[in-house]
Amino acid sequence: MSADILELRGLCVTYGDVAALSEVDLTVAPGEVLALLGPSGSGKSTLLHTVAGFHTPQAGEVLINGRRVSSPTSSVPPERRELAMVFQNYALWPHLSALDTVAYPARRRGQGRTQARAEALKILELLNVGHLAGRHPAELSGGEQQRVGLARALARQASLYLFDEPTAHLDSHVRGVFLAELVTRQRDTGAAAVYAAHDAEETLGLADRVALLAHGRVIQVGTPQQVYREPVDELAARLTGPVSVLRSPGGSARVLVRPEWAALDGELAGRVIEVWFRGPHSDYVLDTDQGQLLVRESGPPRHERGAPVTWRLSHSWALPESEPVTAEPSTSQPPSQTPSSVAVPE
Amino acid sequence: MGARGLRGATAGLVALAAALVVLVPLLVMARTVWVEGSADLDDILTSPGLGTAVKNTFLLAVAVTVLAVPLGTLLALALRRPDLPGRAFWRVAILLPVLVPDFVLGYSWLRAYGRAGFTDDLLGVHWSGVQGPVGVTVVVMVNAVPLVYLITAVGLAARAEPAMERAARVSGAGALSVLRTITLPLLAPATATAAVLVFVLTLGTFAIPQVMGSPAGFSTITTRIYSNLARSSDPLAFTEAVTLALLLVVIAVLVVAPADSLLGPRLRVTRAATTDPTSLAGNNRASGRWAATGIGCYSLLAVGLPLLALVATAVTQAVGLPPTPENWTVSNFLSVINARNGEALGRSVMLAAVAASVLVLLGGLVAALERGRSGRSVATLVSLTLVLPGSTLALGMLIAYGRWLGGTLAIILLAYIAKLWAIAHRPISGALDRLPPDELHASRVSGASPFTAIRTVVLRPLAPALLAAWLVCFLTALHEVTMSSLLYGPGSETLAVVVLNSAELGQVGATSALAVLITVVLLVPALGFWSVIRRLNRIPVTSSPSPTAPELARVG
Repeated sequence: MSADILELRGLCVTYGDVAALSEVDLTVAPGEVLALLGPSGSGKSTLLHTVAGFHTPQAGEVLINGRRVSSPTSSVPPERRELAMVFQNYALWPHLSALDTVAYPARRRGQGRTQARAEALKILELLNVGHLAGRHPAELSGGEQQRVGLARALARQASLYLFDEPTAHLDSHVRGVFLAELVTRQRDTGAAAVYAAHDAEETLGLADRVALLAHGRVIQVGTPQQVYREPVDELAARLTGPVSVLRSPGGSARVLVRPEWAALDGELAGRVIEVWFRGPHSDYVLDTDQGQLLVRESGPPRHERGAPVTWRLSHSWALPESEPVTAEPSTSQPPSQTPSSVAVPE
Repeated sequence: MGARGLRGATAGLVALAAALVVLVPLLVMARTVWVEGSADLDDILTSPGLGTAVKNTFLLAVAVTVLAVPLGTLLALALRRPDLPGRAFWRVAILLPVLVPDFVLGYSWLRAYGRAGFTDDLLGVHWSGVQGPVGVTVVVMVNAVPLVYLITAVGLAARAEPAMERAARVSGAGALSVLRTITLPLLAPATATAAVLVFVLTLGTFAIPQVMGSPAGFSTITTRIYSNLARSSDPLAFTEAVTLALLLVVIAVLVVAPADSLLGPRLRVTRAATTDPTSLAGNNRASGRWAATGIGCYSLLAVGLPLLALVATAVTQAVGLPPTPENWTVSNFLSVINARNGEALGRSVMLAAVAASVLVLLGGLVAALERGRSGRSVATLVSLTLVLPGSTLALGMLIAYGRWLGGTLAIILLAYIAKLWAIAHRPISGALDRLPPDELHASRVSGASPFTAIRTVVLRPLAPALLAAWLVCFLTALHEVTMSSLLYGPGSETLAVVVLNSAELGQVGATSALAVLITVVLLVPALGFWSVIRRLNRIPVTSSPSPTAPELARVG
């Protein structure tokens, strides 16, 4: 019935008494890259490891290509799930050369050594690391290790790729090769990827859809633009980038403002309390009647700290009515970019 | 400048001590063979008794290595599973033989499975092979398995991270395939180390062949050295003993040197051992139960039943009577509790305590010096003593210092120091390696003098290692019988020597009672210190909340 590559239904995973995942429902369609975004400890890795078959859920189920692979009572072992994974620190085997590492999945499929190695070399060359085939992990740089780890995943010829927070960003070439592979694979059986990350900027650029995780729950799913422009709450907003929370003029409702949704020079008054030069642009924190506001403007700073300025708002997003979320420092942004919301007395 | 002078002087003294207890004995032995044996060397080397002993020793070492290494590795793999029923209990049970002196273990096996032993009395079955080469091989193996287990368990924790195996599983490898292609190759350096150590230690093992093999006419190099020295009136026998002792070193070095150069670079552990339990899916509960049953049967047959038989013999009136309550008696214990044995016990404990204290000091000094250039050669020399069999060291001591110290406790103490120096040095050096260098720097920058810095930030984290080193030396010295039995004189018998002599006189009840006593004497300080060390180790280190809880591994 479902054409989805991956489907999670009511997934719950606990460690002892701690709930790592609760009631998670998610689907990933063929050709899609789903990003999991959340602070560390939000359950991203647990989710991937449950999909891979390293953890057994206490409730709910995991379906891959419509086949149930995980439930509280039955579990298909990881090697029979037809998925590939890029591990957090790449998990390269110290005793195998890059070539044998990438040939490993083919060998396990029963292929001969010569043919498996020939295929492995092709994948390594595709990723521009063919010349490193004879090296062992200890002789590879971090970026090279990432490519070998990805090559091993590609050699698996899986329909589902899992990325467990790769410590370095995928560079554009590697990303291109991987996305091309997804498209190619989609033509025959269909393939998809789930990418766990804690860096908002990278994730928004890579994914077709983003699932925001906090405390083991999915708090929002949507396209990158949706989750950036229309976050369901303040926590979701902070996960996807810098944001200010303002009291809307003339009301008690709270609105979210991204730094580029506001601009200097306008009808509203404020005072500069912090200013940072950030190369291509400058960030100002303004003290206004509506609260503290982060404004981003291209070019070097035009005002000094303490200077009175005026500002305007080009766009804002009203927070759905709910109790205010206590602002939790998320790892996705330096604290200097997140002015804390100021409760303005009526 | 002053510090450097002090360091140089210390290095010089330590080097001198190492030379006195290791190099001098070896050199005088070589000289003895050269000067006194040159005429008869051909006769000695071609005598059939010597050939048999050398062949037996070599075959024993090969057989024990071939048996103990796979068994110990298998145990380490099984006990790594977080879902193994009774895991914590089995971990302790596997290590139990470490606390039982090897001659007690050998004697227990005779009492359990030999003629007129436990199974013979109760079931009417006995294993005649237990006294002889097969029995010796099996018991030396049982004695070596905990060592293999320890080395491979540490190797598993340090090198075979769960992520490595998970990566193999998602690449399509089944559980057995992962074991073959990933886990065992990653473990290879540890297994190789274990194999080399077991081989060398078996070459020098004395108590078990003496207790279980000699009565059946099975002789090894070490037992032949012992019996040659007993015939001290025969000068040729003495020269032969010295020749054998040197041969033992030659065989050990011939095995260790190539292994070390082959494995040396790979043996260094690059990462601290993690305690992250593997939660690999695909293990099912039935296999866990099978593993636990297997470990249980092994522990019971190899250690549990023999020790039980030993206790039963100790409390039973006479050999041949079934060990039932109506035959129970304390007379065996009463007969061995006398002034002579009390003195022997006192000597043993004192000797072991003094040796352990001196050894921790010397081991710590070498570990500290090792970090500078001057101490490295001393450290290498000290590590060499691991390869030196006790029989060789004892003979060397006897020739080098026997004239002045023969038959005294001092010469036994010297031998202990030579034999155990490396054992004291290893854990202390390892703990120093794990000490982040910046902690010492931080305390110096905070205003501490070198001495204060060591006292306040080095000694505390080092305490568990120092205590562990002390405990290992103390226990090993209490166990020690290979060198003591060659070096003791009237009035300097240790308790272990008393037990060995009693066994040779065939006093079954008394020997069993003594063996039970010496084991209890060992267990008390061992358990006490163990708890102290464990408490010391419980320094609040960065403990991750819980995302790797063992419960996760439960897979239907």
